[in-house]
Amino acid sequence: MQPSPLTNPLATVTQLETSGSQLDGIPTDLEDSIRFAGARLTQAAGMLLRLPQEVIAQAILVFMRFWVGPDGGSLAEFGAEQVSAASLYLTTKLSAYPKSARSLINVYAYLSSNPTTFANLDHLQQKPPETSYFVSEGTYERRRATLFSTEQRILKTLGFQIQVNLPYTLCITYLQALDVFTHPRASELAKRAISHLNTALLSPQMLYLTHQPTSLATAAIYLAAREVNIKMPEVEWWEVFDTDREELGFLCVGMLSVEGFAQQEREKWEGTRVPLDVKDLEAEMKRRSEITQD
Amino acid sequence: MANSSAATPSQGLQRRFKGCSKIGEYEMMQKLGEGTFGEVHKARHRISGSIFALKKILMHNEKDGFPITALREIKLLKMLSHDNVLKLDEMAVERPKAEGRKRAILYMVTPYMDHDLSGLLDNPDVKFQEAQIKCYMLQLFKGLQYLHDNHILHRDMKAANLLINNRGRLQIADFGLARHYDEAVPQRGRGNGEAKREYTTLVVTRWYRPPELLLQLRRYTPAIDMWGAGCVFGEMFKRKPILAGHSDLHQAQIIFELIGSPNDQNMPGWSDLPGAESVRQFAGNQGTIASRFRELSPTGLSLIKDLMKLDWRKRINAIDAIDHPYFREQPLPMREEDIPHFADSHELDRRNVRGQKQALPPAPAGGTVGGGPNGEWSGSGQPPQSWQNGDRRYGGPQDRGPPGVDRHQRGGYDRRAPPYEHRPPPPPPGERRPNWGNGTDSRHGNLPAPPSDGRHPLPPVPRYGPDGDRRRGGQPAGDTYIPSYGNDGPRRSREPDGPGRSREPDDRPRRGSRDSGNSRDGHVDERPDRGRAYRDRDRDRERPNDSRNFARDRRDGRTRSRSPERRDRNRDRDGDIYRRR
Repeated sequence: MQPSPLTNPLATVTQLETSGSQLDGIPTDLEDSIRFAGARLTQAAGMLLRLPQEVIAQAILVFMRFWVGPDGGSLAEFGAEQVSAASLYLTTKLSAYPKSARSLINVYAYLSSNPTTFANLDHLQQKPPETSYFVSEGTYERRRATLFSTEQRILKTLGFQIQVNLPYTLCITYLQALDVFTHPRASELAKRAISHLNTALLSPQMLYLTHQPTSLATAAIYLAAREVNIKMPEVEWWEVFDTDREELGFLCVGMLSVEGFAQQEREKWEGTRVPLDVKDLEAEMKRRSEITQD
Repeated sequence: MANSSAATPSQGLQRRFKGCSKIGEYEMMQKLGEGTFGEVHKARHRISGSIFALKKILMHNEKDGFPITALREIKLLKMLSHDNVLKLDEMAVERPKAEGRKRAILYMVTPYMDHDLSGLLDNPDVKFQEAQIKCYMLQLFKGLQYLHDNHILHRDMKAANLLINNRGRLQIADFGLARHYDEAVPQRGRGNGEAKREYTTLVVTRWYRPPELLLQLRRYTPAIDMWGAGCVFGEMFKRKPILAGHSDLHQAQIIFELIGSPNDQNMPGWSDLPGAESVRQFAGNQGTIASRFRELSPTGLSLIKDLMKLDWRKRINAIDAIDHPYFREQPLPMREEDIPHFADSHELDRRNVRGQKQALPPAPAGGTVGGGPNGEWSGSGQPPQSWQNGDRRYGGPQDRGPPGVDRHQRGGYDRRAPPYEHRPPPPPPGERRPNWGNGTDSRHGNLPAPPSDGRHPLPPVPRYGPDGDRRRGGQPAGDTYIPSYGNDGPRRSREPDGPGRSREPDDRPRRGSRDSGNSRDGHVDERPDRGRAYRDRDRDRERPNDSRNFARDRRDGRTRSRSPERRDRNRDRDGDIYRRR
């Protein structure tokens, strides 16, 4: 099959079975946590860089693709933070909103100055001291070197497959096709559907790597319509958008489960940081092995 | 799960890269030339024996990481699939052997093409017949139509970037300067339209640069590629570049001598362009094009005049050029397979004896020149540093060459024709069947039409707009390729012949914007045999026993395979740069 402008290369079963991190002995739950935190970090950095959501979403998917499969990157080798930064850098470089390495490094330094990964709102209101995220010229040089080498590793690992097709536009097109925009609460529905698409980016099931944009858009609309309580056609309308009932159900469950997962993660890492670089990860692994030994 | 090995995750197993093959799979042959950002080598794939061209990506300007020009070119080529556009087969990696050299060297692997047009025209043993020129021009227009219909400006149209193989196929190469075109695509009978946004004028090799670019029009259109096609058309008759200016001003002068001086009729709005002042002195030329191209028939002359119209709005677009009456009059365009093989002319040897050659002015170096990732100057007019290159032939100054580079700098391939293959050329790759007559492409047949505009017209995501930290400052969303319609897939998804691959009849509306489809509704193509010749030939061309299938299968197998045994661990362990203190 020739690729099309509406589809993405999906992860194969083999790739989903094993990851580079697993082969390096990193437990799956830890990997899930780190991937989730890394994706959130990318989203946060993208927002601080004033990037459009499309660009951020592409960066998150490049980030996600990097870890997949036995040939993918391993957390034992690459910190999630450096991969997140390089994914964002790479994606913006090809977008209409290129960012300088300096901006990117500053933003990541600012974000990692947060004492906890899951900060509450009060926390964010307080202004951290500027010294906590100041990047000196020497540090900048070193981080920039890492940024560039990580960028190359991403390109190589992904086989230069950095093109990402997103479901956002499709979602709106589908809503138009379903003729819901005549409904008074249509914008509520559309916003909800887009929120679901944004949430799914963070899914530990990597829904964007296992399902095509068409299905993601359809499932987001289905869920949103139920939540907003707007009636959809009685027929199996999702079939029109290349999604069968089974896939729709799976995606709905997957999208809804992100909330619970996020809740668990927040409790699990309350007051601490998810290890987003190699050194922290090694410390975390050590801590875990000590616990099991005791 | 935390077993003993888990405690020491940093001790490594081997890991392989997927998607990129190792350079060791290729046997380097000779150097073919130098592109905008790297050398081009001929190489043989050790397993399949097929010949490829390997374009090395130079990393000499690393202040922005991986070169944006290379990244753009790779991304564009990965999305494109057309018989007249050079295909990117894969990326090959040369991993550094010595310690300390951390970055790998990357090569773009493309099919090897026997000649480039420039080299071919330089070869005195090669005589083009008019029917052959028509065949090449048709292919060039088809390639350009595909690019423009897909919102891509090539921006370095020149004979040296048109590759030709011994099967008569012409392909457009070197997308180092190409970019996404944000505007509506050209439509039948409506010229090339107008652009709403500004792009950098630092594009197109000077001899092929259209008058509007010389006058610093920033809102240019696909018409800039059509001008280049016109230059190539003339070059095929004259066997040398028809407008070889030795400075930008001289270039404008000889253009106006050939076509006629600009006035408000033939180039409306010209006097408002930033560069207009300097060319007022060239007023009063009537244009010598008719006498200069006496060998052309009246329709041929009308085609070259249409391609070289000063008014970029009225310049013929690729769709109309394909339908030009020139291609329907005698002699009819030759069929690709009837084009003689230009074998055994040993042009390279001869050139080495001759020694000298006329150096093409170097292509603008795109992003690397501008300094920013966007390859744009913040102002119009001359770039801050115009490097003065002595030109051997003219002795006049040349500008815009990268510093410290020999004068043979040119895009894609060297102008000299590569030496000839005595063996039969490799068969056409099976996964890229000719789709002549298919409009542009058949693979999107069962999918909804892409959004009519190239960009996502999506309002609901938060959009903060470009921020202020862009290095060059002040320039709105810059000269950057915006992805919107890519078709891509990893190697594994490129199965040789998927079952769903349909081949559709010729009269299907071309893929692309809805507008372009509509615009053709009213148009009746009066040519009964349009596209017929090409389609018929497709059947002969489909060769199931493509020797490269083997390589592809192997590659697929490899990317799919797991690699649990991961031994060497000599990777960069500089992750700690990102560590917090």
